Amino acid sequence: MPQRSGGMPENGGYMVAAYVAAGAIYLIYTALLLRRGRAEK
Amino acid sequence: MTPVESAERALRRAVPWIATSLALIAAVYVRALAFTPAEAAQGPAQKIFYVHVPSAWVAFLAFGIVGGVSLAYLLRKDPRLDLLAESAAEVGMVFTSVVLVTGPIWGKPIWGTWWTWDARLTLTLFLWFVVLAYLVLRGAVNEPERRARYAAVLGILGALLVPFIYASVYLFRTIHPMPVILRAGGPTLPGAMLATLLFSIAVFTLFFGVLLYYRYSLARLADARAHAAAERRDA
Repeated sequence: MPQRSGGMPENGGYMVAAYVAAGAIYLIYTALLLRRGRAEK
Repeated sequence: MTPVESAERALRRAVPWIATSLALIAAVYVRALAFTPAEAAQGPAQKIFYVHVPSAWVAFLAFGIVGGVSLAYLLRKDPRLDLLAESAAEVGMVFTSVVLVTGPIWGKPIWGTWWTWDARLTLTLFLWFVVLAYLVLRGAVNEPERRARYAAVLGILGALLVPFIYASVYLFRTIHPMPVILRAGGPTLPGAMLATLLFSIAVFTLFFGVLLYYRYSLARLADARAHAAAERRDA
């Protein structure tokens, strides 16, 4: 794992990937649910 | 007010709450990413914790609801309980999917591997498949009473996995970290990290509650429409 001179690992890309993936899953499900709601009305 | 009107009103009432929950999740992101210190040994990847752990807590809560409500359905045969169990299973599956996606993304930089057949990871994946089977089963059985009974049994069996998943880090040799809040001796996190985690847990729990309410109202609306159509046919 790449290390900065200060010793903290440089793995911010994984953090961003996880936040984007989680956000995408929640947003897609919410959008699908709202679409089902509109279709049902 | 007819059951159809009541369910439609519930759907309308939930929309502002969904928007509020999404705004609060954005606030969790900002707080976690910009205002919470990174853990020294793990680096920024440790911040995945603030999405992964609250999602896992909500998944446990969802399947606890599925199990409890399914048991209540078998005892009382109230169709609303079946609709609530179905809704909690579907929403819970979304949260479990996030757990299963964010976990490997966290595991790769810290453990050096995306996946390992560790007890907690394997049981969580198994739970995801059980819930998938639950939802497929519901789609495969047409007769409502039979569908509800079969689904309730599977829902209870799926919920029984939850305590095993929670206890798996104690019961088996595992590389998954131990709990940091619900443990003897109290939380081990520094104050700023604990505050972000608790904020995130509260927001994700609210988000789950709102999605569950909306999904349940949707199920009630479809059910009320089906009953109204059947009554018109019989008249």
